[in-house]
Amino acid sequence: MNTGEGEIDLNPPGGAPGWWDLCRTYLKIGAIGFGGGYAVMDLIHSELVERYGWLTEQRFQNTVALSEMAPGALTVNLLAGIAYRLGGVKAMVLATTALILPSFVLIIFLAGLFFAWQNNPVVKGALQGLTAGVVGLLLAVVWDLAKKAPRHWCCFVVGVVALVLGFAFPLNPIWLVLMGGLAGALKVAVGNFSHKRTNSTSDEHEAG
Amino acid sequence: MTGMGILYQLAHSFLKVGLLGFGGGFAMIPLMHNMAVQQNPWLTPAQFAAAIALGQVTPGPVAISATFIGYKVAGLPGALVATVAVFIPSLLAMYLLERFYLKVRGNQITQAIMHGVLPVVVAIILHVAISMGQPAMHSWWQALTVVAVAALAIKQRVNYGLLIAGSIAMGVLMTWRP
Repeated sequence: MNTGEGEIDLNPPGGAPGWWDLCRTYLKIGAIGFGGGYAVMDLIHSELVERYGWLTEQRFQNTVALSEMAPGALTVNLLAGIAYRLGGVKAMVLATTALILPSFVLIIFLAGLFFAWQNNPVVKGALQGLTAGVVGLLLAVVWDLAKKAPRHWCCFVVGVVALVLGFAFPLNPIWLVLMGGLAGALKVAVGNFSHKRTNSTSDEHEAG
Repeated sequence: MTGMGILYQLAHSFLKVGLLGFGGGFAMIPLMHNMAVQQNPWLTPAQFAAAIALGQVTPGPVAISATFIGYKVAGLPGALVATVAVFIPSLLAMYLLERFYLKVRGNQITQAIMHGVLPVVVAIILHVAISMGQPAMHSWWQALTVVAVAALAIKQRVNYGLLIAGSIAMGVLMTWRP
């Protein structure tokens, strides 16, 4: 799997995987990775780090850190990053395709069923319940994310501003996300600036 | 040719969704809602709810709801285009990060995201929950379902797919007219 690119790890502890092994494993993860979040993380760890040794614990943690900086699902980013390390862009694309394939096929199948039956009264009833369920899940996600957010007053302010703006104006939420990114970048920049000004060697002053 | 035109639009829209979905897959939901229900007449609110629900029932990431939307808009080609488009930004970002990662800046980027983007994501998901919930709540049992699902998800960490299955069952049961 030598593509000649800079950061490929050709000798992971368990030996580099062949194309088929890599895709087969990703296909498996993609097929059984229910529940998202930590459950899938454990699965990824147990398969790739413990079982096959395709990357070290250190590399795993590093890639997790990187995955948090990329948009999209953490687990997808993590798996893509690991695949890149194992075999470059080609591996990343192939492995991610294998990962997504089971869900892709299944949701198209279900979509077909849904659109064929969407006017059926039973399905309409199901939709009423389903909508309530989705709202409930979204609220749960709001709760979990709010708990995860840093306990800093500026986070609270940004959140409230975004909420108010969202309700007051028919804004595309994309603008709010960009605004948030800007606010975050600003905060980090200010944190850096004041850190430099304090000019102290002891880090009692919390940066950012 | 309108065939290519719609595919181009799907690609363009889902690239944006994939690019700005920071904070996890759920962050894409408000963006997809805006794009597929509000800005473009691609899905009815009920169909969008189905898109999200089926995304939860299938294994894999939340972003797979894009496949559903693409399929509705333009069949199999639409599904393919939407799916590829929504995942490309993640892959591109991971490639760039793995290749050119500067250890020095890493922590700060994460900080900026946690402090700035995360609160916004919380706000926009809350907003879309209300947007979806308000027009659709006609009955007490629906409100009960919302609360029950939220509580079970938060407290008992029940699998989301199971909760959706349960709420579908509730819906069928409560509207049954033999």
